[in-house]
Parts: sequence; structure tokens; C-alpha cells
Amino acid sequence: MITRRDLAAGVAAATVVAGGARSAAAQDRTGVTDSAVRIGVLGSLTGVQAVFGQGNLSGAQIVFDEVNAAGGINGRRIEIVSVDDESNPARSIAGFRRLVDDERVFAVLGPSASAIGAAMEPTLRAAAQVPVFVSIFSSPVATEPFKRNVFRTGPLNDRLQGIALGDFVLDELRGTRVALAQQTDEYGRRGGQSLTERLRERGRPLVSTEVFNLTDTDFTAQLLRMRQAEPDVIVIYGFPAPAATITRQARQLGLTGKIIGSNATSNRTYPQTVGPAAVGVMNVITLADLPERADDPRMAEYVRKFTARFPDLARQNRPDLGDCLGYNGALVFAEGLRRAGRELTREGFIRALETIENFETGVGLPTTFGPERREGNLQARVLEFQPDLSRKLIAPRVVARL
Amino acid sequence: MLAQILVSGVTAGAVYALVALGFVVLHRGTRVVHFGLGDQLTLSAYIVVIGQVFLGLPFAAAILLSLLLSAGFGVLIERGVMRPLRGSPLLVMIIATLAIGAAVREGLRASMGPLPWPVPFLLSPAPFTLGGLVLVPANLAVVGVALAVMLALFAMLRWTRFGRAIVAVYENPTGAAIVGISVPGVHARLWGLSSVLAAVAGILMAPLITLSPDMGTIGIKGFAAAILGGFNSLPGAIAGGFLLGIVETGAGVYVSTAMKDIVSYALLIGCVLLLPRGLFGTAEARKV
Repeated sequence: MITRRDLAAGVAAATVVAGGARSAAAQDRTGVTDSAVRIGVLGSLTGVQAVFGQGNLSGAQIVFDEVNAAGGINGRRIEIVSVDDESNPARSIAGFRRLVDDERVFAVLGPSASAIGAAMEPTLRAAAQVPVFVSIFSSPVATEPFKRNVFRTGPLNDRLQGIALGDFVLDELRGTRVALAQQTDEYGRRGGQSLTERLRERGRPLVSTEVFNLTDTDFTAQLLRMRQAEPDVIVIYGFPAPAATITRQARQLGLTGKIIGSNATSNRTYPQTVGPAAVGVMNVITLADLPERADDPRMAEYVRKFTARFPDLARQNRPDLGDCLGYNGALVFAEGLRRAGRELTREGFIRALETIENFETGVGLPTTFGPERREGNLQARVLEFQPDLSRKLIAPRVVARL
Repeated sequence: MLAQILVSGVTAGAVYALVALGFVVLHRGTRVVHFGLGDQLTLSAYIVVIGQVFLGLPFAAAILLSLLLSAGFGVLIERGVMRPLRGSPLLVMIIATLAIGAAVREGLRASMGPLPWPVPFLLSPAPFTLGGLVLVPANLAVVGVALAVMLALFAMLRWTRFGRAIVAVYENPTGAAIVGISVPGVHARLWGLSSVLAAVAGILMAPLITLSPDMGTIGIKGFAAAILGGFNSLPGAIAGGFLLGIVETGAGVYVSTAMKDIVSYALLIGCVLLLPRGLFGTAEARKV
């Protein structure tokens, strides 16, 4: 029989254990030595998602090398251990475990793609003591539900982006008949669903919703059906390759509505990929400035550094969105380390990140974290493609609400 | 609407047919199914871009360069990989083709970047309407060029020494060897020929879809078309390509766009179950 006294003793013991665990976490100095701190960089360097993983790594390399050249942060050099998940969720989980268990890193930067991040959610949640910093992928699962160890800044998460896009379409574009083409994967589904709900809430439900697969090459079926709904605004929520083809085929099939794409289509060569049909098309971008025509000296400086460090990538029209976001994320990460001070612990780093408010890098949009807030960026901007197929930032910043 | 679906289906089908021909031309002579063909198709389109953007060649010269290099690459695969593997189980050769495909794909991603590249159009992408149908000159060119290449292929097989040697090896490799035809030489030609067919498909398709290292996934469609057509019949490959293109587009309209690949592959499975020789295939007796 369990007596009240046993119960009280049990509660007391549990309290002691929990308190011990917390103080152990507070003392957790895994990956930290007197002279260095070891950081894992996890991302897709090969495979279909490589576009973003390379940005994650190049950003970390530029920022951390510079930090090291200047003597490190609080007297510690930053050592990078990079793991390629090959765009494969199973390898990403294994890679994360390798970084945490074998390499004993202090924190992990990554993963880099939504499809991978979504599959890794339980792993990130289970590794509650390891700080994880996401700077590129936009699936809400990184921060929703709240995980104390997972921070994100840079992209606007797809749920918030759907809301922001919905508001922009109604308030700025004055859309009355809005149609949506969404990719069938995690990325398109999340954003598309959020946009759909937002427009319904605001009393202007979508007149047409079409889906497409990432590898599709012909969209006649979707566009013919969409044409019957006579949309005045068409939102494309998907990756550059299908979105470019959809834009071109939409114009060929006589759809005249304003086309606006999601953040993933904000790569530099996108308008040229689409061709003449791109003129007047808009898309969401989560950068403070454009790398190809930088107004902000900090962006110009970043482009110079990137070009000097990665001349081969620069020939591929880089740095591009993923690179800029990776660099921005690494800068915010370094700021967290700086604020955590010389007595670096994982708990101290998390608390230091929570003090970051309106931190601007000139490349990404401002970052704010807090004790209850893990979504660093709540803003997005909108681009419009000009007659010479250049990109131009327009309009006010779109601000989402948490 | 139905006519518009046909127009789109035929454009896609023409390209599938070319890729299917690439598979069949090679398989009939060598028994190898080249799973890297889709990635070779991507490579050829990239060579055009490299020729134009980095070497400053005119468009036509860049295309010529791409076709030549593609043929050379095909021959190189035969000499460098397939010939040394001669005598090993067929499965080993097929896995080697998968490895070649992965190497090409990741090589392109590393050297040209993972993002799509803009590709110039052969003809204007601006549409015109004809009797309510939206037609795009660039798409018509795809169909036209694909048909011309197919005709040229058949003419070559029928009327040239080069082609007749291939047909002889198709019919009876031992007999061909006895009359003095170099069977390994024909195999090298087949690799080159199949690579050129894929190259034409890649160059035609790149401006219409979007050129990225993963464009080669379209190769799977060509493979499916080849199976539909029987895998040992050249006209079958063409019919399979057009059929697949039209069914796929139709399924997108009348069934569901998310399901259109599933419908295409269901057709394929149905065909394999009910008509194991495909639509145009013939039974082959082989000693075991």
C-alpha cells in the first residue's frame, strides 16, 4: 500500500532528480573547451535539396572563419563539423545523431530543407539539450509546436508566409478572384493550406486550387481548369523548376491574372528561367536586400566575401537566397555565442539567444527571439520582375503575426 | 479542351518517344537497360548552356557541340565501362548505368549548381491561337524535330551500312560476327546513338520545362513508354511515348493532377500484366 508519506518522499525525490537534471543542463558544456567550441553543420550538400544545404555550409564557413581570424568569440575558436544528409531524411537523422553522439558538438546548424526538417521533428524534439539553429528551411514544424532547443531565423515560416501572402494579395494587389497552385510536398502543402485558410477567414475564399508534383513538366490540365475560374491573382506555392514552367504555360494558355510566387522562387535567375512571361510577376523574398544589386553596404560586403571565397559558385549566379540566409543565420548564431559570454554552456547559449532583439545583419530580415519565441523573423518583402527581367524590391515589408 | 489536352500530350509524348527510342535502340543490341539515360539527357542540355554562356558559341554551334560530345560520351561509356564488364552478369551492367547516371547528375549539381539555368528557346514561346486551340511555336518545333529525328533514325537503319550493321546485330549477333561485322564496334555505335537520341530530347525539352540537374527524372517516363511499346520494338517505343504523353495529360484533367503519375504507372502495370510483350513487342525465344 502506498502511504501519504511514501508519496511525499517520492515527490521530494522526483523534485531533487528534476532539479539535478536542470542544473546538469545548466552545466552542459559538451563540445566546449578552453580554446574552442565545436559546431555541427547539417545540410543537404548533394541530391535534390542541395540548393539550400550548400548555403547553410558556405554561410557558416564565411562567418566562422572571419570570427576565428579575429581571435574567436570570447577566446574560443569555432570548429565546424559538416555532415551531408544527401537530401535524405533517414541520413539526416543519422547525421544529426553522429554530430551529437560521436562528434559531441555543442550545437547544430541545420538541417536545410523543409522535407528533411519535417521528418526530423521528433529527433530534434528528443534531443532537448542540444541547441539547434535553423536558418534556411521554412516548414513550421521547426518551431511549431514550441521546442525550447530549436531556433529559426531567416525565412518566414510557411504558415506565417501563407497568412502574409493572403493579406498582401487582398490588401495590396486588390485580388477578388484568387487561385492557388501548390506543390504536393511538405513545402507547398503547409503554405497552401495557410493561404487557403487566411482567404476564407477574410471572406474571399480561393476560386481555384490546383496541385502539382515537384517533378511535373506539363501543367496544361491544372491551368485549363484554373482558366475556367477566371482568377485575377494566381499564387504559386512551389519550387523554382515547376513554378517557372507553370508561369510560362499559364501565360501561353491565356491566364492573365497577376502571378505571385512563394519564397522558394526568389532565386536570382528565376526571371530568366521563366523568360519573357516573367515580366510583372512577383514573388516573396525574405532578404533585406538583393545580392545582385546591393544597396546596403553590408550586403555588398557579403557578396564580395562570398565571391572571393567561392569563385566557382559565384559563376553560378551565387550568392543566392539559400547562401544569403545561411550567412544571415550564422551571423545571428555567432551573436548568440558572443552574448553567452566566456562561461559557455548550452543553457547559457539558449538564454543568450533569447535576448536577441531586432538584430539586423543587412542581408536577412531582422531577428528577435524571446523566452517564448523561437521564430526569429516575422517579415517578408515582395519582388517584381522588370521588363529587362531584373528583380526589384517593392512595396512595404509584409509583416506576419505570430 | 480535349483538343488542347491532345496538343500538350503530343508535345510531351514526342519527347518521351525519343527517350524511349534511346532505351530500345540500346537494349535490342546490348540487352542493357541504361538507367543513366535520363541524366545524359540533362547533361546534353547543360552542354548547350555551357557552349553558349561560357564559350560564347552561337546557338547552332552549341547544339552541334552538345550532340557530338553526347555521342562521344556514349561511346566512352561503352569502351570504358561496359566493355570491361563484358561477361559479368547483366545486373552488374545495369547497376553500372545507375552509377553513371548518379555521377552525371551530382557532377552537374556540383559544377553548375543546384539551381535551374535559363535556356534559350528554339522558337518563340509566345502562343498563337488556331481554331480556339492555343499553339506554341516552341512546342510545335519539339514535335517537328522529334518526328524528323525518328524518320532519320529509321532511314539510317534501313539504308546505310552503319544502320544495317546495327540491324544485323539486332537480328543475330553470332551471324553478324560471322559475316565480318564487329559486334563490339556496333555496341559502341549503339551507345553513341542512344546518347544522341537522349541529347536531342534534352535539348528540345530544356527550354520548355526547366533545366536543373534533376531534369533527368523525365527519363523514367521514357522508360515507361519503352515498356508500353514492348521494349524491343522501335515503332512501339514511339507509340508508347505518344500514348503515355496523352494519357498522362488526360489523367491530369479528368482524374486528378496529384494522381496523374499514378494513373500513368497503373497503365504501365496493367500493360505488363495483360500484355507482357507490350503493345508492339514480339516474343523472343532464347536458349537458357
